[in-house]
Amino acid sequence: MSQPAFSSPTPAPGSRAIAASALRRAGLIDQDAKMRDASGKPSRKGAPKQSARPRANPYKPRAIDVVMGKDQQAAKPLTARLAPGDPARAQRLAIKGGARGRRNAISLNGAPVPGRVIDLWKEWVNSRWNPEAKFLNLERIDEDEYLKRHGLTSPTSQDATKAAQVIFKIASQLKPEVETISLAHNGLISGRIMVPLAHYLPDLVNLSLEGNRLGGWKEIDYIASKRGRLQKLRELILKGNPMRELDYKNNRAQQYKSEIARRFPALEMLDGEPVARVGFDAPTASVSTSTRHHTVLKSFAWNMEPSFIAGVDGAIVSNFFVRYFPLFDNQRGALIHAYAPDATFSFSANTGIPPRARIEGIHVSKEYPNQRKLEWAPWLNGGQGGSRNLGRIAGGLQRVTQSLHLGSEQTIRAIVDLPVTRHDVAGSPEKFSVDAFPVRQGERTNLLVTVHGQFSELPSEGIRSFDRSFVLAMAPEGSRAKQNGWEVMILSDQLVVRALSSFDAWRPGPMRVQAGDLLPSAGLQNALLPLPELQRAVMQDLILRTRLNLQFAEDCLKNNDWDLERALANYEQVKATLPGDAYLPPDAFMA
Amino acid sequence: MSTLTPNDIEIATRAAENFTRLYYTTYDSPTRVGDLPNYYRANSALTWNGRPFEGVEGVRELVSGIPPTKHEVQSFDCHPIPGSQPPSLLVTVSGIVTHGKGPSGNPPNTPHKAVDGHPRVFSQTFVLAPDPNAPPTKSGEVAKYYITADALRFVG
Repeated sequence: MSQPAFSSPTPAPGSRAIAASALRRAGLIDQDAKMRDASGKPSRKGAPKQSARPRANPYKPRAIDVVMGKDQQAAKPLTARLAPGDPARAQRLAIKGGARGRRNAISLNGAPVPGRVIDLWKEWVNSRWNPEAKFLNLERIDEDEYLKRHGLTSPTSQDATKAAQVIFKIASQLKPEVETISLAHNGLISGRIMVPLAHYLPDLVNLSLEGNRLGGWKEIDYIASKRGRLQKLRELILKGNPMRELDYKNNRAQQYKSEIARRFPALEMLDGEPVARVGFDAPTASVSTSTRHHTVLKSFAWNMEPSFIAGVDGAIVSNFFVRYFPLFDNQRGALIHAYAPDATFSFSANTGIPPRARIEGIHVSKEYPNQRKLEWAPWLNGGQGGSRNLGRIAGGLQRVTQSLHLGSEQTIRAIVDLPVTRHDVAGSPEKFSVDAFPVRQGERTNLLVTVHGQFSELPSEGIRSFDRSFVLAMAPEGSRAKQNGWEVMILSDQLVVRALSSFDAWRPGPMRVQAGDLLPSAGLQNALLPLPELQRAVMQDLILRTRLNLQFAEDCLKNNDWDLERALANYEQVKATLPGDAYLPPDAFMA
Repeated sequence: MSTLTPNDIEIATRAAENFTRLYYTTYDSPTRVGDLPNYYRANSALTWNGRPFEGVEGVRELVSGIPPTKHEVQSFDCHPIPGSQPPSLLVTVSGIVTHGKGPSGNPPNTPHKAVDGHPRVFSQTFVLAPDPNAPPTKSGEVAKYYITADALRFVG
């Protein structure tokens, strides 16, 4: 029988049919798809699987293989490294051996079948991993023969977000944890490839992006800490990227450094140079804090107290307010003399809705009929630079700088541009709360004054709450402040404007934590006064929870080494046996 | 008088961002009695709702006397205070704080309009100063700052 002239050479008909039906059963092709003829494709290197790069020490087990329990020699075929126990895979392998021989995997459209992709990537990631240095070297990905050989889509290509996810997920499983990654020289234009990096490796310490084509802040924002990413990044390299090189060329190196530093709070080195910054004694994981058992209270040991003024004659503070606020309301220009020539001023709007005010319905009550007429825009955008809420200024440094007013003239220009206000400091003192005390600054002693209260905003006559912090210095002889009758001079002034909340918040007295909590009467608090502070706090807490009188409470605590939890448990055990006079009368507690 | 450079402002802004995040995380953690005092020194002066405390021991005593907290910072601002180099920083923070268990810790038949248990608005002002006795520990670190003054009030 002669073969039709036009048919191309094929393997024995029977084996092909078997292969096709087996594939269908394994769910890898659907019923109508034609099976691909391997010989129709340009030939590829069909060598049995080897690592893309020669390994430094072929006899040492790779980290990933150790993890998988498969310490192995270099040239073991990939098939033997697949995880056991997957029947579908085993079936595919059997088919592969039978029908093809030349290619490493049966493929749809030239790409490896899904299950194998992960294993190929695992092997590749592994080949780039240096466990001693905790360094994953992902530079020059596209030049890597391995990808071409196995038909893997490079993660740097446009539509390969999945590959990047797979790679970084594999990286997150490496042991020990990856500390350093290089993505240098990958021609990256977009930072999007790094989204899975930040997701899977949030504790990354060092990152090199040298020699890519990242053009602007948007590309770095994919991993910037504003959104809680890469908070532990200590070293970053961006040399060779347009975003850095252009700024350097145009004399904006300082701005470039600032913009990067703002995005990574733990950054210590940028492009090989230390990052100037300020440190705090924050707790570190390695420092073990006191193991002493700390009592957890359910009440406040301390009451709300009235205004606090110390270290200075109270008249100085009240004289200042009595002069400052009416001028702020009616003649802001005249305030220029109150500010030091190099004073700093800024304001910010906290537009959050105060929870308790909302529950009480303050903003819709008859007492405050004009609240609905208030708008935030004049505060957010006015004042010659806008609201300086550093937590919300997402964009560049420019807004951060513009909203800080330096010197008395800039300050007045900004203040004059704010909405008109009416404070009533003298008339309703209970609506204001002040805390003032001295602060040393170098050789000098200044005065920190914080005042909380409310003002009416014109023209709407809606009421706002505000918090204002001043750093004041005594006006020096011959200074413009002194000459204009100011006893004090403003060095620094920060204003926060908020939605109205009730001045009840600072009404002096004990405070509840939860609804229904008992509060101590003045008499009870006086009776507790002689005790040392921390004992007093624990006694008060126990009494408020049990109503025990002082004697019984003290005995209970003494018998339990002043451990509040144990004392409470002890009380629960014995309370059935306690006499009525173990308890305080109702008037020991506030109504 | 020393003039402020954009660099000073930029470092101050970053300092405030870091500080705010670190401070309230520490405040809200179960180890705050051990950890929070580290931000202060012996000469720190602070007030809590008008009650004064002093120094590292004062802070320890203060936080031993309040229930566990959960802070949410809604806005903060910072500038260098003219008059010294490296400058002291004035930082104001505005936000809400929940003590104890919050509204879910209230008894079941608590009336709707009762505010107890619900978060309070707080206002806290710090003066951060460079510690003359602490050498910077890492390269690039301009100075180690600590809280030299701190005034907190519940305001809503």
